[in-house]
Amino acid sequence: MCCPGCRAVAGLISASGLETFYQQRTAYNQRPSEPAPANAEQYLVYDDPELAASFTETGPAGDITARLLLGGISCAACTWLIEQTMARLPGVKMALVNLQQSRLDIRFDPALLPLSQIFARLDALGYRVRPFQASAQRTQMGREYRLELRRLAVAGLGMMQVGMFAIALHAGDIQGIEAQYQGLLRWVSLLVATFVVIFSARPFFTTAWRHLRQGALVMDLPVALAIGLAWLASAWATVSGTGQVYFDSVVMFTFFLLLGRFLERRARQRHNMTWFDAQDTLPDAVSALRGGQWQTVPRVQLCSGDIVLIRAGDTIPVDAQVTSGESAVREDTFNGEPMPRSVAAGDTIYASTVNVEAALQARVLGSYLESRLAALQRSVEQAQTGKPRLARLADRVASWFVGAILLVTTATALVWSQLDPEQALWVTLSVLVISCPCALALATPAALTSAASALRASGVIVRGENALEALARATHLIFDKTGTLTEGTLVIARVELLDDMPRERVLALAAAMQHYSSHPVARAFGEIAPAPGLQDVEYRVGAGLEARQDGHRFRMGSEPFCRSQAPGLAPPPEEPLYWIALCRDSVPLAWIGLEDRTRAEAAAVVAAAREADMEVQLLTGDSSAQGPLLARELGIGAVWSGLEPQQKMAHVQALQNAGAVVAMVGDGLNDAPVLGVADASFAVASATDLARTQADFVLVDGDLHSITTTWRKARQGRRIIMQNFAWALSYNFCAIPLAACGLVPPWAAAIGMSMSSLLVVGNSLRLNNRPGP
Amino acid sequence: MDSLYLLIPIALLFCAIGIKLLLWAIDSGQYDDLDKEAWKILADDEAPGGNAGDVPGDDTSRGKKP
Repeated sequence: MCCPGCRAVAGLISASGLETFYQQRTAYNQRPSEPAPANAEQYLVYDDPELAASFTETGPAGDITARLLLGGISCAACTWLIEQTMARLPGVKMALVNLQQSRLDIRFDPALLPLSQIFARLDALGYRVRPFQASAQRTQMGREYRLELRRLAVAGLGMMQVGMFAIALHAGDIQGIEAQYQGLLRWVSLLVATFVVIFSARPFFTTAWRHLRQGALVMDLPVALAIGLAWLASAWATVSGTGQVYFDSVVMFTFFLLLGRFLERRARQRHNMTWFDAQDTLPDAVSALRGGQWQTVPRVQLCSGDIVLIRAGDTIPVDAQVTSGESAVREDTFNGEPMPRSVAAGDTIYASTVNVEAALQARVLGSYLESRLAALQRSVEQAQTGKPRLARLADRVASWFVGAILLVTTATALVWSQLDPEQALWVTLSVLVISCPCALALATPAALTSAASALRASGVIVRGENALEALARATHLIFDKTGTLTEGTLVIARVELLDDMPRERVLALAAAMQHYSSHPVARAFGEIAPAPGLQDVEYRVGAGLEARQDGHRFRMGSEPFCRSQAPGLAPPPEEPLYWIALCRDSVPLAWIGLEDRTRAEAAAVVAAAREADMEVQLLTGDSSAQGPLLARELGIGAVWSGLEPQQKMAHVQALQNAGAVVAMVGDGLNDAPVLGVADASFAVASATDLARTQADFVLVDGDLHSITTTWRKARQGRRIIMQNFAWALSYNFCAIPLAACGLVPPWAAAIGMSMSSLLVVGNSLRLNNRPGP
Repeated sequence: MDSLYLLIPIALLFCAIGIKLLLWAIDSGQYDDLDKEAWKILADDEAPGGNAGDVPGDDTSRGKKP
């Protein structure tokens, strides 16, 4: 247990008799933000029926059904924990968690249980919770998923039926069969296969047609051609009672391809978070001045000109201008840095930044849509649409494959029409069926699914479409600084003693004083046992802390603040650290140097990337000397510091226009646009939700070595895809001439097709081996 | 062999019923969450949830008075 937040959650779980959770979970939970009871009050706004109406439904018996979106669900055991906990609340009739959508459907009796208590309870368990707003995109996704599953089910059952008939027919070909039974079996096969083609194979036809109209040849085109022509030829053979039927190949082909796509999609969408909106980081309940009194009002009801109260530690809900109070705000949303900016009356503060030091009153400047955060969200959306689409390997192969097949088929038809006009049609068709690109079409999805599941086992979630392909070709690897290459939190790097007080005592004293502060600096002292007996600790905004002990007056903080009490204080040492002074009365005691420590594995990852001929760059929102310094330490040649989120994005776009394939690693909300626009992007474990939604890969355990693992896997995946293509094409090259000579009976075609597909799948499964160190 | 004319249509009928049932199951949302259901079978040691009325006012609501 690492913090009070975790302790509160663990206590709650064991007090409810649900310890089994710890035996069954398969992934660690996310760290809760703060001890839970402090959060309970903010959910009271949801008891307002007007606000609740958008995500609840009232049933006939007065029951309310609410849909809530949960953040931080890490594995299936979480769903059990949530369902059990909810079911034990008095008044809950039903609680059901959908893991794929991170959604909780809960039905309860509002007379026994207010909605706010459900929110508070979930929060206490350590999950982030907010109303589930149905969006068009989300409903669309659900509908597509069901449709795909229906197609797959029909294709599977149809394949079994047609397969049974096909075995009888093939056996009949070999040992003889009466014409009437052959006719019967063909007719029922035709019936089932027609249903499968119309119901299940439709997307291949529509996609191929859509791309064809735009002049693009995609993998779906040879697929649609093969299915369509084989079906047509077999149907003709059935009706006319001549030639050969290929119904088993048609349905098997359809089923295999649908299965491959379904698995690929599922692997990708497992952790889909496209629902996330930057607005979700803002508090829903806000203290505003209404009629001379402070009232808790829903954030959406704030208007321009309202006065709001922002307590220390709160997230600022809207863009606003400070009217009274003095504090510091942490703006890592926009610059990625943990060190706060001091603000006083007249300064503008921005939505989603955090008020660190003291309470502020501020005048609301405008609605969410006018805020700087909304602008950031918009540039994220722009990044998505502006992202260059690298041509998929499969589609490039497909485009010349189609050409080659059509050429060979025409040639066969011409030659045979000279030799033996009666056989010409059947031989030509058998060429088309033999060349059926099942193995070719499976080559990519099978390899990608396999690589994604191997990466998941080693702590990397793969989300992005084509990201593995792009990563294998990456020429540039770009890092963000704070929180990505560094830990993102300050630690004590050096203590420079100025008096004879021992180091331990100095640190204990400092820890005791910092105990009263919520400034990021204070976290550096969190693990040191504080000295006892401190009195009258006072916080001076923008300067430091003051306290009394045994008649002495202690000060800790900035240079001018301490020098005003101890004029003899020497300037801080040269080293570029974040220095704070400590003094007792007029005696300076120590300089304490803090730094944001570089991650231990950063240098190794940078070196590995350069060895692999990638250009490594550093883009940071920090404008201090820290950026270039860190770059020199790690051996990164190119550094840009002091960049706004939009400038980072522009930088990457410029590189892409010059022909580079860019992989980007970042963590903060400010990195979201650049992660969105990069060809392949990583978010480290501690990343904000918006950054995670934009990243193609999420590093779950926060170990930067996973980046090396991922691109090694991506390159291995590319090799495997190449091998798959090579195999599938060489199979076609051998089989097509045989078919063109009229030497391949239908049963051999069916076996050949299944074997080549199985080989491709088997080869792809080699990617499933756990990646090496 | 004439029995084929009866048996094959019966087989097709069963197949059609099977497809119908499966499509109904998909549409009613039974396959919406493949991850959870696969895991759930391991977790049912305790009494199934939903009967919240059995344990009113147990100590789980402690410390949670908003």
